[in-house]
Amino acid sequence: MLDKLFYKEKGLFLQSLHPLAALAYLGTLLVLALVFTNPLYLLGILLVVVLAIRASDGLEAWESYLKIALFMMVMIMLINPLVSPAGSTIIWQGPRIPVFGRPTVSLEAICYGAAMGVRLLSIISIFCLYNLVVHPDKALNLFSRFAGKSVLVISLATRMFPAMVRELENIRGVQWLRGVDFSKGSAREKVRKYSSLVNILLLSSLEGSLETAESMQARAFGSGPRTCFSRNRWRSRDTLFLSGSACALGAGLWGLFNGFGSFTFYPRLDYLISGPGTVALLLIVLFSLSVPVLIGWGCERWPYLNSKI
Amino acid sequence: MAGESGSGKSSLARVLAGLIPDFYGGRFGGKVYFQGREMRGMDRRKLARQVGMVFQDPEKQLVMTGVEAEIAFGLENLGLPQKEMFRRVAEVLSFLGLTELRQEFTSGLSGGQKQKLALAAVLAMQPQVLVLDEPTSQLDPVAAEDFFNLIKRLNEELGFTIVLIEQRLERCFHLADRVVFMEGGRIVQDDVPVQAVRWAVRSGKALVPPVARLFSVLEFPSPPVTVKEGRRQLRQSFSVRPVSDEPDSRKIPTSTSTDRSPLLEIKNLWFTYANGREALQDINLRVNPGEFVAILGENGAGKSTLLKNMAGLLRPGRGKVLIKESDINKKRERYPGRLAAYLSQNPNDYLFQDTVEDELLFTLKNFGMEDNGIVDDLLEELQLSCHRRINPRDLSSGERQRVALASVLVTGPELLLLDEPTRGLDYHLKAGLGIFLAERAAAGASVVLTTHDVEFAAEYAPRVVMMFAGRIVSDGTRHEILGQSVFYSTQIGKLCRGLCDGILTFDEAVEKIRPLLSSQTVTRTGTEK
Repeated sequence: MLDKLFYKEKGLFLQSLHPLAALAYLGTLLVLALVFTNPLYLLGILLVVVLAIRASDGLEAWESYLKIALFMMVMIMLINPLVSPAGSTIIWQGPRIPVFGRPTVSLEAICYGAAMGVRLLSIISIFCLYNLVVHPDKALNLFSRFAGKSVLVISLATRMFPAMVRELENIRGVQWLRGVDFSKGSAREKVRKYSSLVNILLLSSLEGSLETAESMQARAFGSGPRTCFSRNRWRSRDTLFLSGSACALGAGLWGLFNGFGSFTFYPRLDYLISGPGTVALLLIVLFSLSVPVLIGWGCERWPYLNSKI
Repeated sequence: MAGESGSGKSSLARVLAGLIPDFYGGRFGGKVYFQGREMRGMDRRKLARQVGMVFQDPEKQLVMTGVEAEIAFGLENLGLPQKEMFRRVAEVLSFLGLTELRQEFTSGLSGGQKQKLALAAVLAMQPQVLVLDEPTSQLDPVAAEDFFNLIKRLNEELGFTIVLIEQRLERCFHLADRVVFMEGGRIVQDDVPVQAVRWAVRSGKALVPPVARLFSVLEFPSPPVTVKEGRRQLRQSFSVRPVSDEPDSRKIPTSTSTDRSPLLEIKNLWFTYANGREALQDINLRVNPGEFVAILGENGAGKSTLLKNMAGLLRPGRGKVLIKESDINKKRERYPGRLAAYLSQNPNDYLFQDTVEDELLFTLKNFGMEDNGIVDDLLEELQLSCHRRINPRDLSSGERQRVALASVLVTGPELLLLDEPTRGLDYHLKAGLGIFLAERAAAGASVVLTTHDVEFAAEYAPRVVMMFAGRIVSDGTRHEILGQSVFYSTQIGKLCRGLCDGILTFDEAVEKIRPLLSSQTVTRTGTEK
């Protein structure tokens, strides 16, 4: 299960992008999801993200993210109406509670909760898409020109993580056979038992790190300035992506300044569609953002297109 | 370079690679020269381009997450331009046959592939000398063989200078132009292989391949170093074709007597991992008290999984595991640790207390048992009494393994389960372990261990079980299984197959062939060199 959440090379169109283009696209999606408040726009962005996930063959992995997101969404939709006092259409009024007064549930608060839930789902799905589409090393290497040592540390940590998880499992099994029962004892004792596992892992890791350092030293690490090995090439598809993202971002921000993507919930719900401008902007933004999905679909259908861009 | 653990071989290798004294610190004296220039004064980048080093543990050597990035790591350190790096990475990948793995993550590679990758990363820097510190000790036999062939190619086709430290000499002795023996920090012998063998046998060292040792002990004038040469000499020596013996029917102490119930019984065991991989299929096994069983099989055959099922670490999908007639998975409070001692592949997983004594007392405390002298006895038996108050993390790897073993034996279990205990041990440590386990078995306990080491199994385990793809393929005495097999046999076994049957170990060979020599049916061939 755990390895479905991490990156796997499948040879997809979206995985063949330059990391900068991919990051720009995802960044645009993230920014727009955060600044728009109109529920229609939020739903549109969610739709684009889900289509992109589908295009990168990641619906299975998305399901795991979906479970977490849905749980949080439900929490928001339940809690927000109860604690938000604004809103003029009151549906239900609760009994008097000493410190908090009378909790009221208003229609606006429910709608606001729902819209924020959709936004949360979009953001979590964007992170899911990142995991599916961006090779972690490639993304990291973008920064190695100016933050070389930090990038190396992160690379090392990422490499050692799966091995450490396995080792922790082994240590746990071994300790259990030595009589340590993890299901018994008070909370403090349980913490102590688990901390002994981490202690063993720490000791073994410290010793292992010396061997890794030796290997790095033998390969002349630290003997002078480092260059950067990068196999990324900038292609026409990357230009297309970047321009699509830039267009969407520009249009979205312009629309926001001119009041198109915003929406007021309190004290009264605004009109969803306040004129043709809203719809027009929405379509422009969504079209620019679905460029990758469309191109990806096209590349899979027509190899001619794949060889051209 | 050969020698026991602690003889200083690894330190010498690190001196040759330039890691001592700069990386480690300490006191030193004398000088090291490379092509006439003193190494200490050399620029580190220049040094890395001349001498490369591959270490023992493939897992700990790798730094990056991707295969290409790993190979490029050293080149980045040298500050090479992009084009040059790309060229070298491509060349090394195709030379070592790693091209299909180009896009893989390093965590998904097997042990043998990781070690190849470590070698690739060093070769990309194009050194002239390659120093290898026990590179195959953590690998299974197939991967080890592959690795040795690579090194041989590097030496013969590309003219690399190779300095190889190795314990399993039977694999690489014939590849060497020179053999260096070390002991106690000094070089005690430095000669061509044939002379080195003679010297080793004269001084009573066991550090040579069994074939060479056998012919030397039997006083043949020019001891061979390969099985091929050995068989040729044997064939020439037998003037009368000996009657091939019956397969040795030295059976294990009878286990079919009905009054002894089996200590461990596995019935119809099926096990599937959480990710859907079916690891064990229809396993049926009985182990009686006093039996010593070795489980052999390639990587992925399911040996470790079977052992973990026996220990209770894994629950079978179907079937039962019975220790002393009771199902270990049925009880509400499962404490198989008291009945069965399990030693995992990595003894470091056991060590976290401040002293060796505390490790043993920790296990006793967990089971609520008193120390009635068992701690003293165990420490004495495993030769750890002098390390009683030392932090276990300060000990060598062989000693750590003994501490881990002691910490699970304090409960006085009757079943010992060991997962690849011979990995990385030298000949003497292996002999010590084998004798200890055999004594335990003779005292009534049962020992089940998994190993890749056919020589060890042939020497100490009277019963051998072979596994393949999750099933038990064969189960019988060592002579039945190893003696009849063409591929899974000891070096001596391969030597004598067809010429003189029923021989597996060095002692058996001496026992059987020496009387033939004195009875003149065999004449010593070969000329004095």
